[in-house]
Amino acid sequence: MRLAKLSIRNFRNFEAVDIPLGGNVVLLGENRVGKSNLLFAIRLVLDPTLSDAARQLKLSDYWDGCDLAASPQIEVHLDLADFDGDDAQATLLTDFRTAADATVARLSYIFRKKAEVAGPLQSAADCEFIVFGGGDEARSVPSRVRRRIALDMLDALRDAEGQLGSWRNSPLRPLLEDAIAGVDRASLDAVAADLDRATQALEAFPTVKALEDGLRSGILDLAGTAHDVDARLRFAPADPLRLFRSIAMFIDNGRRGIAEASLGSANVALIALKLAEFAWRRAKNERNFSLLCIEEPEAHLHPQLQRGVFDKLFNGGDPAQALIVTSHSPTLAAVAPLRAIVHLKFSGGKALAYSLANLPVTDDELEDIERYLTATRSELLFSRGVIFVEGDAEEALMPAFADAMGHSLDRLGITVCNVAGVNFTPYVKLAASLGLPFAVVTDWDPLDGTKPPLGKARTLDIWDAIASVTGQAALTPEARTQWAAADFAAFSKGWENAGIFLNDQTFEVSVANTPALLGALLDILSEQGFGSVCTARIAAWRAGAPVDAGQLLAMIADIGKGRLGAKLAKKLPFGQHPPAYIAAAIEFVAARV
Amino acid sequence: MSNHLALSRALADLTGNPEQSEAVRERGHCVVLAGPGSGKTKTLTTAMARVLTEEVFDPRGVACITYNNECAIELETRLAAFGIDGSDRNFIGTVHSFALTQVIMPYARCLAGLLPDEVRVATRDETRAAVEVAYAAVFDDQFDPHARWQFAEEKRRREVDRSLAHWRGRNPELADYIESYEAELRRRGLIDFDDMPLIAYRMIRDHAWIRSAIRARFPILFVDEYQDLGHALHELVLLLCFAGGIRLFAVGDADQSIYGFTGANPELLQSLIARPDVREVRLRFNYRSGAKIIRASLGALGEERDYRGVDAAPEGDLFFWKVKGDLDAQASAIANQTLPKLLERHPAEEIAILYRAAWLGDKLAGALDQTGTAYMRTDGNALVKRSSRLARLVEGCAAWVAGGWRDADPPFARLAMQALAIVYGGRCSDAENQALSGQLIAFLRSGIDGGETTHAWPGSGACAGI
Repeated sequence: MRLAKLSIRNFRNFEAVDIPLGGNVVLLGENRVGKSNLLFAIRLVLDPTLSDAARQLKLSDYWDGCDLAASPQIEVHLDLADFDGDDAQATLLTDFRTAADATVARLSYIFRKKAEVAGPLQSAADCEFIVFGGGDEARSVPSRVRRRIALDMLDALRDAEGQLGSWRNSPLRPLLEDAIAGVDRASLDAVAADLDRATQALEAFPTVKALEDGLRSGILDLAGTAHDVDARLRFAPADPLRLFRSIAMFIDNGRRGIAEASLGSANVALIALKLAEFAWRRAKNERNFSLLCIEEPEAHLHPQLQRGVFDKLFNGGDPAQALIVTSHSPTLAAVAPLRAIVHLKFSGGKALAYSLANLPVTDDELEDIERYLTATRSELLFSRGVIFVEGDAEEALMPAFADAMGHSLDRLGITVCNVAGVNFTPYVKLAASLGLPFAVVTDWDPLDGTKPPLGKARTLDIWDAIASVTGQAALTPEARTQWAAADFAAFSKGWENAGIFLNDQTFEVSVANTPALLGALLDILSEQGFGSVCTARIAAWRAGAPVDAGQLLAMIADIGKGRLGAKLAKKLPFGQHPPAYIAAAIEFVAARV
Repeated sequence: MSNHLALSRALADLTGNPEQSEAVRERGHCVVLAGPGSGKTKTLTTAMARVLTEEVFDPRGVACITYNNECAIELETRLAAFGIDGSDRNFIGTVHSFALTQVIMPYARCLAGLLPDEVRVATRDETRAAVEVAYAAVFDDQFDPHARWQFAEEKRRREVDRSLAHWRGRNPELADYIESYEAELRRRGLIDFDDMPLIAYRMIRDHAWIRSAIRARFPILFVDEYQDLGHALHELVLLLCFAGGIRLFAVGDADQSIYGFTGANPELLQSLIARPDVREVRLRFNYRSGAKIIRASLGALGEERDYRGVDAAPEGDLFFWKVKGDLDAQASAIANQTLPKLLERHPAEEIAILYRAAWLGDKLAGALDQTGTAYMRTDGNALVKRSSRLARLVEGCAAWVAGGWRDADPPFARLAMQALAIVYGGRCSDAENQALSGQLIAFLRSGIDGGETTHAWPGSGACAGI
């Protein structure tokens, strides 16, 4: 079974979102955009521990833009798919199949004005909530469905130590109870006897004995003999059946308690125990599906540990378990399956959700993108805008160009994404799916002039890729024919509005032909201490020899983009604009973030 | 939670009866053939309890199809003794109710164009009107549409699979009549009772996912009184059990052919036994009757059966009373002569009077009224219909008021649930639930020690409110 879709209406940050889901969910977004509210929306539908009082929302839970006079309703609909492969899951969900698609079941929560209340909504007391399935209010969801398809929540302020430390709440409790139930009474008695001997040895130490006596007399003094509680110092209760409650987890080969562990280790232990508890509940036939929600699971975890832990969590492939996490961690985002990513953004007074669950790319393209994201630590997923470029040199120079124009890409949250070639379409689909404004900077590539320039078809394909995500119509054959006939000026002008910026030369030539830029670059290069061949070339170019653009950019790429950008920003006179098509691309994205 | 102790006691109880034991422990398709009084209901309920304890685990359950609601209630009561409540895990009800609640209601809306968006069950007047419209469209003559409809109805019930050649090959004008009638019902957003298993059959036949959804929920199907359940159920069983992977446990009496007038179909049961993948178990012991009565019944059956009484059971007595005259004279003789004699030796609740049809019951009731004899009538003309949920509720309420409230027999929670089901059809808000429950308990408590009788209830406002 997997989570297939979440729809929310009029709830807190959300006016109306329909979010396709790809099983596990990694919820990204800036602070206060509504990540926790989205989790709460799911809890309204599924959480068996949420009381009816908590499900009875307040008027302040309506989205701010709601006109309460129109009696709007808060709605949460959660679609579940692929449950038919498991008989128990099918049994629980079969009554809630949607009319439109019998393989999908829907569970819903609605909060609205009671039918008998006349006039406008005055207070929450005028409202009622219902939980139902199949999109049919008459199909109420029995509590056993929520018990057996259960949601567990580890919130951001979770107290891992506290949960592990208290017997009542510890996920260790049911596991231990079960393990001890498998031990025969005689063996338990033997352990109790051993512990009793140890306790006697302890009490035989004069200082310990003195302390115990002192405490006992103190209590006696306070409470009197009638209420003597017969207090003793022990390692564990003497009752063999209570003995196991003092069993606790220790770390470092048993040398230290969990309370002394780092917060990070305690968190890992808590998550691992939760998963063990789920497996145990399934084995005991108490549950058929577990949905674990963790807010900021990266809390206190070193990035390397995050990678290991979340790789296992996301890629465990257990069909009876799903994970929803909210995160600010690029490391976590990098190991998450791309289709699990949901990006929340705030815009126009409401949160918008962008999901990659249905990203229209092939498996190979998906792998490429995931590899790219891992290599760049998922920078793109956290950006506010993207400039796509063909190669290393553009990637290195773009931030410096932007600085010269008075835009700091870092501060604007704009990422330069180097697709290492001209296969822009999967990346463009990714950016469009994430709702990111973006520009594509690419070459016209006229070849020898006997065939149509490669940049034309590339541009049209990029447009179709965008359209496949945004739901716009693809180009008609007629439109394609028309564009094919256009010359460079008309073509490039026409596509600027779509964020595709073409260069009629190669990037290398454009740079070499921009004198102020060339001077600054040569200054930087000569400070690098290149070998004799390169040093000679730099000197020759300075003297006015024609620049070999390829060699120039190979040297630039060697410096590394971060360092070059910083140096160039100092050397480039402010206001000295880069080649026009690049300037236009930067302005295009900067204006939209 | 099922009651393991009750189950192990019941299983131990059966050790003296190897056939019952064998049937209860069978893990493949099983058909139990059993005569009257042979403990088949006990076999059925013990088998269900064993399966729910040992083989089918929560949230999955089992379905049990019974002849009528009365049998369903009887089974529910017996299963309650095993700690198996009428939870939403298990289905116990008629084939019509199974078709409606387990197939049509959950899945019909997933199949575009199958039924109108809003359908309800047609009233008798509405079905008659549809018969007349269909008749006018197909035959257009001056004869009685309803007389002809009886033949059509028979064809409709018997020929379940209309994709077979003989649907149109035999009596094609009746096929037109039926299809025209059904189209007329749909046009009005209606279905009738015979539609339910037919529509369910088609849905299950045409959609493998529906078969598999039903198998997921009910891996085992129990059927009580198989011989009485008709062709539609038989076809459903063939689809679900032999094509759909559900295990069958059926109980029936092949000899009920002597009650042919009730529409029993012993040949369907025979065809099940003939299958090589079905285990046949015959129950031989008759727990209900003495040896003399068993011998007499075998004589009436005209066939040899190895039915036998339980050792040490009383022999039983068989008397013939000759009455000269018509049926009224017979009724009068029963009321005035036979019954007083029997009442000398037996308490009233141990005496039963059997007759073939409700109109004969009218004659007997008249005679008994004249002699002032108290009786409880259970035929189709009875004031309290055994298959009526409302009647069962009124009866339960009376039992509660008359002292049941002390021992929770019946429990109030069950009465409230029945009332909710009748008033809201199982769909109601918490507020409605509380309001109705509150009204009901106030009404019932006011009746405790009130010296009232239920005779007054049907006319009173309180009952009309329900």
